[in-house]
Amino acid sequence: MTESATEEKKPKLKSDQMFVNLGPQHPSTHGVLRIGLTIEGEIIVKAEPDIGYLHRGTEKLAEIRGYHHCVVISDRWDYLNAMGNNMVFCMATEKLMGVEIPERAQHLRVLMLELNRIASHLLFFGTYGIDLGAFTAFLHAFREREMVLDLFEKVCGARMTYNYIRLAGVMKDLPKDWLNECQEFLTFFKERLVDYDTLLSFNPIFLDRTKKVGIVSAKDALDWGWSGPNLRASGVDYDMRKFEPYSSYDKYEFEVPLGKDGSCWDRYYCRVREMHQSVRIIEQVLGGLPEGPTLGRGVAKVPKAKPGEAYAAIEGARGDLGILLVSDGNSSPYRLHVRAPSFVNLQILQEMLVGQKMSDVIAILGSIDIVLGEVDR
Amino acid sequence: MIDYFAEIWNTFNSMLKGMAITFKTMLKPATTVQYPTEKLVPYEGFRGALLFDAETCISCNLCVKACPSYCIQLENATNEETGKKIAKVAWYSIDLGKCNFCRLCEEACPTKPKAVWHSLDYELTFWNRDEMVRCWKKGFDFVGMYFNRKEKEFKKPDGQVQIQTVQQRFIY
Repeated sequence: MTESATEEKKPKLKSDQMFVNLGPQHPSTHGVLRIGLTIEGEIIVKAEPDIGYLHRGTEKLAEIRGYHHCVVISDRWDYLNAMGNNMVFCMATEKLMGVEIPERAQHLRVLMLELNRIASHLLFFGTYGIDLGAFTAFLHAFREREMVLDLFEKVCGARMTYNYIRLAGVMKDLPKDWLNECQEFLTFFKERLVDYDTLLSFNPIFLDRTKKVGIVSAKDALDWGWSGPNLRASGVDYDMRKFEPYSSYDKYEFEVPLGKDGSCWDRYYCRVREMHQSVRIIEQVLGGLPEGPTLGRGVAKVPKAKPGEAYAAIEGARGDLGILLVSDGNSSPYRLHVRAPSFVNLQILQEMLVGQKMSDVIAILGSIDIVLGEVDR
Repeated sequence: MIDYFAEIWNTFNSMLKGMAITFKTMLKPATTVQYPTEKLVPYEGFRGALLFDAETCISCNLCVKACPSYCIQLENATNEETGKKIAKVAWYSIDLGKCNFCRLCEEACPTKPKAVWHSLDYELTFWNRDEMVRCWKKGFDFVGMYFNRKEKEFKKPDGQVQIQTVQQRFIY
């Protein structure tokens, strides 16, 4: 969007401007995000997202901690997709250390990442319904999310901060009967996905609130560095799992769901269809899980990486999650930088909100699906 | 005109469909539990509050090094006659306010059964900050005691409601 285009969106008739604070403790901001809105009547003329309320300095913390400790820290970035954080940090470190990961561990990683993606999208699905006033969908989504969290609890002992994916493998093998339980969940979940469409996706009231709201063109989305389901909703076919396959993603068949015009509904429906694809991937993983060890050799108790730089990126639940790791040969990273998808996706808000109605702010903010733990790190 | 009524019908119809799904779940048993009266027991291997056993600990310092938030401290015991260090702890403390519940200390522990391990206890509550720092010495039970600074003595943590006081140690 150019400057003149922004000008055009402003209301022609001048009236008194008013400054409205949205957040930081607003339930619809999904955390602690403050948006300073300047409004004229009902139209927004200026929007300033204010972040940093949840800053914990984890990038700096990593510089005095060992590599095993950093995996624990990484859980706290995007706490809804903590497996992805574990994964990307381990990938970057493994690149520097040059260790091999056993075949079974690779498959288990993909299994966990996709289960976590489902859990994360379910939370989006539920809370987006709540943002727009539909409460029932939330209860349904959280019932299913609880089942995924139960599966995680059985395998790694925690429900949110997993610390499951470790350097050169995973923490431990699956417990007995876990595969059957996972299969049971998938059978249950596939039927529920149909309910979701009835409850929310094609509900006329929901469609009215989202269908022609918050449209982002493919060019804008690329210019602002969007990634993940948000970018794909604008019609750009880009998925790290497909185009730069990591772990064992190249062995599975799945489609990349695309949206048409990049409206709020497209972003919403992209995620719902991604859950279908995640189910497909998980079924393929369960079908061909190889036997073998789950933790590779060659990682010391206090590991030291070779001096150098490594960048690793994965397709997280919210977009391209990247890690730049610089090592000087010591037992802790020299510098750690996180390319957090939520942080990048949030930036467009200052232009997107201009010219929109006050009542659409929450619909737009909710559809971007940010996690403030990752925005502020 | 037809569009107008069609839209009304569509909206009404979708509401009915939604209500049908709600009605289906209405007849099924509840998925929630009434928490303070009913309690869920976590699965085997859950990472709850840390427990410690002063008898099995060999005071090797591995858990101290494994902890990402530096919440564990310990001191070696000494033989009273010779004055040399022995493989036992004089005292061992965990700051549960700092604990990440990541199980790195339990994995690092070389003894069998583990000297420090996660229980299934998720009801970790404290009345004050003193209670967050648990201390263990010879003769203290697995839950540990905290040092009350006002009364200058070790006390049992009252804040922690234990669903299972002593846990079996799972061996991985």
